Amino acid sequence: MLEGIFVDGLIFSIMVIGVLISYRILDFADLTCDGSFATGAAVAAMVIVNGGGSGTALVLAAISGAIAGAITATIHNELKIPGLLAGILTMTMLYSINIRILGGRANVPLLRIDTLYTQFPRFFSFFSTSWALLVGTLLIAFIIKELIDIFFRTDLGISIGAMGSNEQMIISMGANPKTLKIIGMALSNALIALSGGLLAQYQGFADANLGQGMVVQGLAAIMIGEFLFDSNKISLITLRVMLGAIIYKALMFFGRYYGYYINLTPSDLKLLTGVLVIISLIIAQTRSAASSADARKKALRRNKERREHQKEDQQHA
Amino acid sequence: MLNIEQMTKVFFPGTVNEKVAIEYLDLQVQEGDFITIVGSNGSGKSTLFNLIGGTYEVTSGTILLNGKDVTNAAEHRRAFTIGRIFQDPTVGTAAKMSIEDNMITAYTKGLKGLKVSLNAAKRALFKEELAKLSMGLEHRLKDNVGLLSGGQRQALTLLMTVLSRPKMLLLDEHTAALDPRNAQIVMDLTTAFINELNLTTLMITHNMQHAIDFGNRLIMMDEGNIILDLKEQEKKSLTVPKLVQMFKDIKKQEYASDEALLTM
Repeated sequence: MLEGIFVDGLIFSIMVIGVLISYRILDFADLTCDGSFATGAAVAAMVIVNGGGSGTALVLAAISGAIAGAITATIHNELKIPGLLAGILTMTMLYSINIRILGGRANVPLLRIDTLYTQFPRFFSFFSTSWALLVGTLLIAFIIKELIDIFFRTDLGISIGAMGSNEQMIISMGANPKTLKIIGMALSNALIALSGGLLAQYQGFADANLGQGMVVQGLAAIMIGEFLFDSNKISLITLRVMLGAIIYKALMFFGRYYGYYINLTPSDLKLLTGVLVIISLIIAQTRSAASSADARKKALRRNKERREHQKEDQQHA
Repeated sequence: MLNIEQMTKVFFPGTVNEKVAIEYLDLQVQEGDFITIVGSNGSGKSTLFNLIGGTYEVTSGTILLNGKDVTNAAEHRRAFTIGRIFQDPTVGTAAKMSIEDNMITAYTKGLKGLKVSLNAAKRALFKEELAKLSMGLEHRLKDNVGLLSGGQRQALTLLMTVLSRPKMLLLDEHTAALDPRNAQIVMDLTTAFINELNLTTLMITHNMQHAIDFGNRLIMMDEGNIILDLKEQEKKSLTVPKLVQMFKDIKKQEYASDEALLTM
């Protein structure tokens, strides 16, 4: 049971890193995610159903996501519309495309077919089944985290980060922000679709509605992660995002598991997620308000002490 | 170095808001020139820079940079030759990135590859360069730029622009938003870099004294054109009252507001 939460959380964390790239690093409010997650699942499922193998399935899922991200970035670049609208356009179009990929169905099961999650127990046969699944997922998640960390330390990665913070600076340094946006968005959605492809294999089916509400869930995980610790180092940022993703999945698990005592049904979880995001925002805000109030108090106290000192000095004189 | 011919820029053409910002402007800049540009608000100084830099497209006319026609070249292409520093210190640096990340972005121009070039040697070089600013930034390589003061950020912007090895500098009132002490530091650094690297420079300023003290040529703009162009000898004998008088003579009118702007 506990292993299940971690597997779920780790698969989810790959998607959250994708959301992190668009929202936090590129500063691009991207809703493509809701579509590309399901695209990844659909592509992976169809590749496996047609005998393409689980590894190929993941690679093709990532490529399909990259194409979706690049399309969103291109719409935003060339038609000069806000990223939010560009993402909604792609997301809406992807819904139809996903059903096409799934062969006109909304759901494709992967029963009695070899997937990564039937291969893991064989590969890690020295572990129990549930541990084998966890170790396999952990391996994939950490390889991806490492690759992303390395990427954002390269010159290209740094300039993508700089563009998210200040587009004019990147132009001044002779790089085309349009190209950087396409690369960044393709990477972001490749990770999201890859995560979708993994989830389809883990839960044994692909569904056209799989991506619904993914952006908000991703944001919730990012915000939970940001409560953990503060850093501007990419390796720690991706680490805290992964921890946030696992914590989020755990919270949702307990919401499902114990929720029925207070009449919660699984359909209430989206509401819970939204409330979680709002609470995170409120806490973050009160935190910064509290620290500035604290600073004000300290400043007043220092001022008072100084005046008292001056008074004493005058009395001595 | 820079050759502008018959350049015109019209904003919102064909609408009620149509505004001619620059009209039939000609300007020749020689290599190594340091030109100061003065003029009242709305005279077209910043528009001129935005046209040279490529932020705006020209309505008509041509711009030659190093003999190459760049009239329709994208802003990021021209940035290989032109380094720009703006009045707002936050424009030139990325606040959410560390000082070293900002500097490595400036170190190589253009689209970057998948190479990790931020290594110990580069860090040592950056420390050495930052030490030139004598602002203590050499000990803060890993701090985010958002934590720096306006003066520190503008000095860093200047250093980054120089690191990117442009052939030409466009300075748009780059010390105007700083306090007098920091403005002095940034201005001193600017002239040091210009002399050291022999950079062709165009500098907009509202400070008449600066306009006279710096550079080998002074241009005054008004209503979208150059109304005064003083070189070498003429410029050397210039004083602030003389300059204001020249402006009045040309305009043959007394603009109280313009005078207030010019005699700062």
